[in-house]
Amino acid sequence: MSQQFTPNNPLPQEAKVPAEMAVFSPQVEAEIDGHLAKYPPDRKRSAILPLMFIVQRERGGYLDPPGVAYLADRLGVRITDIWEVATFYSMINTEPVGKYHLQICKTLSCKILGANKVTAQCMERLGIKPGETTADGLFSISEVECLGSCGTAPMMQIGFDYYENLTTEKVDEIIEKCRSGQLGNGVR
Amino acid sequence: MFIGAIGCEPLQLRRVNLENSASLEVYRSNGGYEALNKVLTSMSPDDVIAEVKKSALRGRGGAGFPTGMKWSFVPKDSPKPKYVVCNADESEPGTFKDRYLMERDPHMLIEGMLIAAYALGSHVTYCYTRGEYRYLIEIMDRAIAEARAAGLVGENISGSNFSCEVYTHSGAGAYICGEETALLNSLEGLRGHPRMKPPFPAIAGLYGCPTVVNNVETLTAVPDIIKMGGEAYQKLGTEKSGGTKVWSVSGHVNRPGVYELPMGYDDMEKFIMEDCGGIRDGKKLKAVIPGGSSVYIMPASDILGKDVKMDYEGLVAAGSMVGSGGFIVMDETVDIFESTKNLIEFYKHESCGWCTPCREGTDWLVKIFKRIARGEGRPEDAQLILDLCDNIEGKSFCPLGDAAAWPIQSAIKKFPDDFKRHLMPIVETETATV
Amino acid sequence: MSTELVKVTINGQEFQVEKGSRLIDVCREKGNDIPSFCYYSDLALQASCRMCLVRIEKMPKLQTSCTITCTDGMIVTTRSEEIEKAQRAMVEFLLANHPLDCPVCDRGGECELQEMAFDWGGLEERFTERKNYAPEKYLSPMVANDPQRCILCKRCTRVCDEWMGEDAIEAGGRGANTVIGTYGGWLNCSQCGNCIEVCPTGTLLDATYRHQARPWEQSQTISTCTYCSDGCEMSLGSRAGELMRIVARDRYVNGHNGEFLCIKGRFGHPFVNHEERLRTPLIRYKKGGKLIPATWDEAIRFTATKLDAVAEKYGASAIGVVGSPRITNESLYALHKFATEVVGTDNYTATDAFSLQPFFDNLAGPLATHRDIRHAKTILLIGGEPEELQPFTGKQIRQAVRNGGAQLLIVNSVPIRLKQQAAKFLHVRRGTEEAVVLAIANQAHNKLAAQKAGVEEIELIELRRALTGTEGDLVIMFGGELGPEAQAVVGQLPHTFSRESRRVLLHPLPLYNNSVGAHDIGLMRGHMSATEMLGAAGDAVRAMYVAGSFLPEHSAQQGLSKLDFLVVQELFETETTAHADVVLPAASWAESDGTFTNNDGLVQRVRQSIPPVHQSRQDWVITSQLAKELGVDFGFQMSASAVFKEIAERVPAYEGLRYPLLKDESKPVQAKHTIAEKNDLSRELESMRARVEAMAETAEKIMGTPEVGHELFKPGTLTGKVPQFHLLAAGNPEPPTVAISPLYQITIDGGLQRRSEAVAAGD
Ligand SMILES: Cc1cc2nc3c(=O)[nH]c(=O)nc-3n(C[C@H](O)[C@H](O)[C@H](O)COP(=O)(O)O)c2cc1C
Ligand code: SF4
Ligand code: FES
Repeated sequence: MSQQFTPNNPLPQEAKVPAEMAVFSPQVEAEIDGHLAKYPPDRKRSAILPLMFIVQRERGGYLDPPGVAYLADRLGVRITDIWEVATFYSMINTEPVGKYHLQICKTLSCKILGANKVTAQCMERLGIKPGETTADGLFSISEVECLGSCGTAPMMQIGFDYYENLTTEKVDEIIEKCRSGQLGNGVR
Repeated sequence: MFIGAIGCEPLQLRRVNLENSASLEVYRSNGGYEALNKVLTSMSPDDVIAEVKKSALRGRGGAGFPTGMKWSFVPKDSPKPKYVVCNADESEPGTFKDRYLMERDPHMLIEGMLIAAYALGSHVTYCYTRGEYRYLIEIMDRAIAEARAAGLVGENISGSNFSCEVYTHSGAGAYICGEETALLNSLEGLRGHPRMKPPFPAIAGLYGCPTVVNNVETLTAVPDIIKMGGEAYQKLGTEKSGGTKVWSVSGHVNRPGVYELPMGYDDMEKFIMEDCGGIRDGKKLKAVIPGGSSVYIMPASDILGKDVKMDYEGLVAAGSMVGSGGFIVMDETVDIFESTKNLIEFYKHESCGWCTPCREGTDWLVKIFKRIARGEGRPEDAQLILDLCDNIEGKSFCPLGDAAAWPIQSAIKKFPDDFKRHLMPIVETETATV
Repeated sequence: MSTELVKVTINGQEFQVEKGSRLIDVCREKGNDIPSFCYYSDLALQASCRMCLVRIEKMPKLQTSCTITCTDGMIVTTRSEEIEKAQRAMVEFLLANHPLDCPVCDRGGECELQEMAFDWGGLEERFTERKNYAPEKYLSPMVANDPQRCILCKRCTRVCDEWMGEDAIEAGGRGANTVIGTYGGWLNCSQCGNCIEVCPTGTLLDATYRHQARPWEQSQTISTCTYCSDGCEMSLGSRAGELMRIVARDRYVNGHNGEFLCIKGRFGHPFVNHEERLRTPLIRYKKGGKLIPATWDEAIRFTATKLDAVAEKYGASAIGVVGSPRITNESLYALHKFATEVVGTDNYTATDAFSLQPFFDNLAGPLATHRDIRHAKTILLIGGEPEELQPFTGKQIRQAVRNGGAQLLIVNSVPIRLKQQAAKFLHVRRGTEEAVVLAIANQAHNKLAAQKAGVEEIELIELRRALTGTEGDLVIMFGGELGPEAQAVVGQLPHTFSRESRRVLLHPLPLYNNSVGAHDIGLMRGHMSATEMLGAAGDAVRAMYVAGSFLPEHSAQQGLSKLDFLVVQELFETETTAHADVVLPAASWAESDGTFTNNDGLVQRVRQSIPPVHQSRQDWVITSQLAKELGVDFGFQMSASAVFKEIAERVPAYEGLRYPLLKDESKPVQAKHTIAEKNDLSRELESMRARVEAMAETAEKIMGTPEVGHELFKPGTLTGKVPQFHLLAAGNPEPPTVAISPLYQITIDGGLQRRSEAVAAGD
């Protein structure tokens, strides 16, 4: 090919960088270093998704402006590069979500085995619709696409945890346990 | 949920039901890492590739490309580093086999990746796993640490002069990142858009270096191929597609699960009706999507009594494809219009937005399906839908566009009545335009 | 690319074409129209619009011709029922969610999607669903955005990245929700507006021209930019004597800059019709008195009398004549002729920031054109900051590196942004660029140079190795940091480095649109520099005739008040006119005919877009009238082409040139500068060595990378008339809402507009 592209080195930040930058504990920094060590030193950007998960875990569930500023700085990319990547991937939150994020699979196998009932039960118990968060900030509901649990349908994911072979009773039980703090929110 | 082999000795699923199957100890005491040892002590990289070629192993990610041939495309003399990337993005609706392979037997994947790396002269391998499978990444990380402690990953593996790293990498929710070039973009920290081919990843993949991307199940087949020899592996299956295949089965069957079958298993009816325990609640079989959502839907009439052979050629002959091997079984209660709507919504959600036909086409189709579902269907909609599918198919940048079109085209063709009902709510009697 | 020819059959016709050439280009060259949106020459391939489909024998499916390179025996069909259906389908898809608001869209009439819809659109609208909606907004004071109209060809994000190296605008979201934008929705960049230019639809729009005029109401005049020395070709859109906008869209103009312009070129024009433009000649009858409007006849007569008197009293050389590097060659020539033939003084000059005369006197190789820069193998940049001062050169350097694999070597005391693209960056101490030039000229000085510049000796050795290792073109560029001796040395470098396999090209980086022309015309050969002239005011120089104004760099202008008489031709009142006895309103470049010579040595046409505003006159016209009043008829017959004809007769580098030869901007004409023999520079080198030896070794290095726009946004006499530049210079504050132009919401010091009704009134 006649064209030859070299990666564009990061330039000084051009979009408005949030004034504040997130600060993390040494443990979190070490975790981040561990991810960065997997990639060639001049390819730090590769770690963007793993780091986004960490930042969103540490910053209340989403990439807040200081978290975004941190990512751009740590990876040596521009703030807009963080935005373009974050908005592409459905698991990266650019807006706050509830502490317990109920992600109900709505794709075919789950659908024909009762995903609608699961969603309806969650909606009724929590009084919110998919895409919404309860006023206390405890729960959000989302309908998501196939999570690889078709054999154990219907299912939902809370944080990273799978809850499979769901029934309305099971849903009630899970929600109750979340309310009372007996269940972790699956965010790791 | 069932997990095991039918019609053959379990190969890939040999250990899955053992206690503590994910541990190095159990893996080793059941023949684990013997193949790696064999490779390191007595085989040249070319020997390995030759053996894989003989095995007639075809990629299990969906495209079914012969694996040995793919490996032989990697330029030996390239001064650049080479990479092996395992595609564990498994996001195809109806597919969950890779999940259980990794959950129950992570060392088999590590061994497969190491052997591939040895064959291709690679010293760094990545396992790109979909972000939702976080617990699998944790299992893999633990297994990698165990293997490293045992000298099986890292510098001078098992005292040989072959060194190789195995790293996990997490996706973050994007079906398109299962497409190998989109996966590489994502692994480089970019948006998961597919790349132009050529150049193929074997020539310029990760970081512009020669790269082989293989599905989990493809890589986990490699240790057995080395151990039993390519020929013996091939003989388990058919001439053109060797070995066994792991199928995921979901939907209205009594026994959903992960089934290992020999390639060329006869026949599909027996498989569904007997092996999977038949249809739930004594209902009738209506349709099967045999290869993950992206393949043609098959009506019961194309399966029952038709001796459909379960391999690449057999399914094509029966009007569908092996794809990723995700069986979605639907009984008579399912409205195929609704199931098709569900799938097109999936494709719209997952279209990366790069190319015109897929981005705009899926958006438009979803709008039409939603309108029809609201009861505002028009007789001419069927023609419009088919024409839009035709305008997407073969014109999109990557196969996702085709994958969105095929289920719809086949659904309208095979289940015209389910569509007619929605399109002609008022004039029931008129003949369909389909 | 190899020059091997291969046989390609297109629609049944056989052609021999270069192997590896791009199929879409070949088809178009051979007269087979192929529609496309995302394909853009010399940008990364995208292949996403899927418009350019063709059928190639032996290949499955239709293929995108933008991604296919020609191979032998290829058989291509570009027209068939199947292809037409596919292409019509793509247009239909693109129009599905596209709003039907062409009548209120600024791009209406010059929109590629609109045109494509005429050619490829369906008769019947099959999309009857609700269109996706997103509100219009502003991305910056310069860029307006209507996301609904976007077809995601991503030309904008690619030019931002590949041309500008800024990557400020990107695609976010996924699938049908993909949008072009930035983090936080506010665009902080150099505001070049190239994203607007390459946008085929009305998605990105010139915010300064929002809803001002329709394209077809304007007459398009092809001209050359009046800002920096790169000389971008542009099209001036005017309506009823008003300059409306400037574009470089290839449907109007095809200059060496393609569709590239920078913020100044694109947005810096509203000074032309600004209310503060001088309206009539002004005379200050008494020192300390007021400037009073006068008629042209009176002003010319008054000026002539005064100049006559000074010449009578103090001699001709007491009259200084000062030109401006902004005005045309014709005007500069008239001034030069006025000085030498009417007044008879050697005290003439131009108000340039620095003189390049020693460079041109020693010029031993061709000047590099911007095309040469794009295809260079090695680029050595000494001093300067092209990304701010000559943005088109900056773009060419970036593309040479990114798309052409060139190696860029930078010697600079400031870590300029281009260093990101550099293979080698020699970060020298402030003011020690000359030390490196000394070492390049003679490696015996490596040690001394390294010590003074604060770099390692090995870096200088490697620099030389990079220069001598180049196969292909080596371009050497330099900025204003180099003194006269160093300039002479650089001018002679081709003698040192040229080889059979290596062409050495030179590229000076002066600051103004006609700096090179001022040298060519001879105005920089006068006995005094602009600074010296100011120093001599009231002393050796008693009267001055100035076209334009002095620059802040030329030290204090109080000296001017000591003059017996000062006449100034200007567009606006300036510090210089404050001392003037007569001020004559001059026409801007948009109101003038003539030529500029850019830093490639390209002689480019300037064409009158609108008649001179108010009573202003073109500079050369004023000078000729003054000459006539003083008894000399220049014989220009009021035609710029007559002036240029005389230039071509008298200036050797312009020999044989005529306006008709400069007619086609797509075939630029380079002046033939004399190539100097190998000169003996031992004296220059000796004095440079002495200077370098005297350099201090204590200076701290400048560490911070300069901010984007620190030069580009500076409100000068001209750009200062554009309110948006003040907003940018104040840090481009984000307005409270992006639904309304920031101009109406924010004061120029970055504060919030207090009157809320301004916001409510909308834009
Ligand atoms: C839209 C799309 C999604 C895909 N998703 C997956 C996937 O989730 N897992 C996978 O292994 N291959 C997937 N593939 C196939 C890969 O592109 C590629 O063919 C495969 O990883 C190659 O490995 P194999 O040769 O071992 O099959 C997908 C392809 C497309 C077009
Ligand atoms: S077909 Fe086009 S829009 Fe769809 S996923 Fe592939 S590249 Fe993206
Ligand atoms: S021009 Fe070829 S796909 Fe857009």
